[in-house]
Amino acid sequence: MTTTSETAAEAPRKTLETAVRMEAVNKWYGAFQALKNVDLEVRSGERIVVCGPSGSGKSTLIRCINQLEAIQSGRIFVDGIELTAGGKNVDAIRREVGMVFQQFNLFPHMTVLENCTLAPMKVRGETRDAAEATARKYLARVHIPEQADKYPAQLSGGQQQRVAIARALCMNPKIMLFDEPTSALDPEMVKEVLDTMIDLADGGMTMLVVTHEMGFARRVADRVIFMDRGEIVEMAPPDRFFDDPQHERTRTFLGQIA
Amino acid sequence: MIRTFGWNEFLFILMAIRWTIALSAIAFIGGGIGGLAIALARTSGDKVVRQATAGFIRVFQGTPLLLQLFLVYFGMAVVGAAINPWIAAALALTLHASAFLGEIWRGCIEAVPLGQNEAATALGLKWASRQRWIILPQAARIAVAPTVGFLVQLIKGTSLAAIIGFTELTRAGQIINNATFEPFTVFSIVAGLYFVLCWPLSLLARQAEIRFARASAR
Ligand SMILES: Nc1ncnc2c1ncn2[C@@H]1O[C@H](COP(=O)(O)OP(=O)(O)O)[C@@H](O)[C@H]1O
Ligand SMILES: [Mg+2]
Repeated sequence: MTTTSETAAEAPRKTLETAVRMEAVNKWYGAFQALKNVDLEVRSGERIVVCGPSGSGKSTLIRCINQLEAIQSGRIFVDGIELTAGGKNVDAIRREVGMVFQQFNLFPHMTVLENCTLAPMKVRGETRDAAEATARKYLARVHIPEQADKYPAQLSGGQQQRVAIARALCMNPKIMLFDEPTSALDPEMVKEVLDTMIDLADGGMTMLVVTHEMGFARRVADRVIFMDRGEIVEMAPPDRFFDDPQHERTRTFLGQIA
Repeated sequence: MIRTFGWNEFLFILMAIRWTIALSAIAFIGGGIGGLAIALARTSGDKVVRQATAGFIRVFQGTPLLLQLFLVYFGMAVVGAAINPWIAAALALTLHASAFLGEIWRGCIEAVPLGQNEAATALGLKWASRQRWIILPQAARIAVAPTVGFLVQLIKGTSLAAIIGFTELTRAGQIINNATFEPFTVFSIVAGLYFVLCWPLSLLARQAEIRFARASAR
């Protein structure tokens, strides 16, 4: 074997189509195991919906992808870059990955525009003018360009969550993570946020979405994942997942949320 | 020879207030810098750093300020430095203020919801940027009232520096009293001057508290 081929064999398999790869990932909180031997491959442009009972490890799963949680064993590749514990790659990966939280987590002391321009200016070194132009573009895309100078507390929940989406998009991420983005919203505001996410999906964004909005899953997902007790129990395209689930636990869960 | 208490005696006491203000200012600025460092250390991810600073805080919260002054004052002699009441008082009060402000501000930093730090982290902001732009500005709003409250304690605390021979307001009073033997007049004036110094700050603290309560009720 030549040196070259050895190097090639050892290098992380960087296929352009792979957005996220998790290999045998284990995660503990103290003595409690939150992720058990999780394998997952997400292709570029793919939309994955993650569902499962509360406490099953859905948040933990997606939070490991941008290292909001550290893993204890296994490997995670994001856009071909391997996450090393506490290493330099974390910064590179966080620049590729945007995240939207259940509680919006907008910065309350900043205007909507400032929320959107902070990271592009401080992390990517963009000028204020460039960052503001980008921010206004994405605020228009989530249909709230006129709210740019307001503070988060002056907006409705649905508007706040759309700002949070715009804020993440301003960093020009390749992958978007959503952790129950509509769970904290009043029912009448769920649709405007889901519509924004559908628009994003139609634009080709790679998305991992933790949600129990099954209509959204059917409409948008390429694959639906069911998690229970830290494991991926079932993974299938939405039609098969909803109409012909293979596992008893999946059936029970679907019965409960229907 | 006993002097009568007159205008000159009053002026002597009044002029000493600048040393009280100067000592308070030094301790507050020094304590502000030290306290910020301690608050950040106390809320850092590093366990060793957290525990070391916790020990520092415990020592200063668990001992009387007077003894802290003594220990720094006489400690200077032990390490071979010239005994200087100015430096000893400034150093002791700075350490004291660092510990207390560090603990106050730790609480304010921890009151900022965890999601703020997570959102900033997910956006790629590094630790220093997260503190500077996200965490500290929000913590600062909560911190105004207790910080001003502590400043009032600190100003009153500077009176203990009289005991190691630092001539500030209280010591000036003692000096005049030793010459005039009119303790009630003298110490009423001294107390009155402390009050004039601290009362506006107490008002400010209360106002900040009301403003904060209103802002968070919104
Ligand atoms: N920081 C933490 N410390 C300890 N346990 C945690 C922590 N975060 C989550 N867990 C536990 O890990 C499990 C999975 O949590 P999570 O991923 O948030 O579940 P889900 O998002 O599916 O509701 C739960 O049992 C939860 O109690
Ligand atoms: Mg969750």
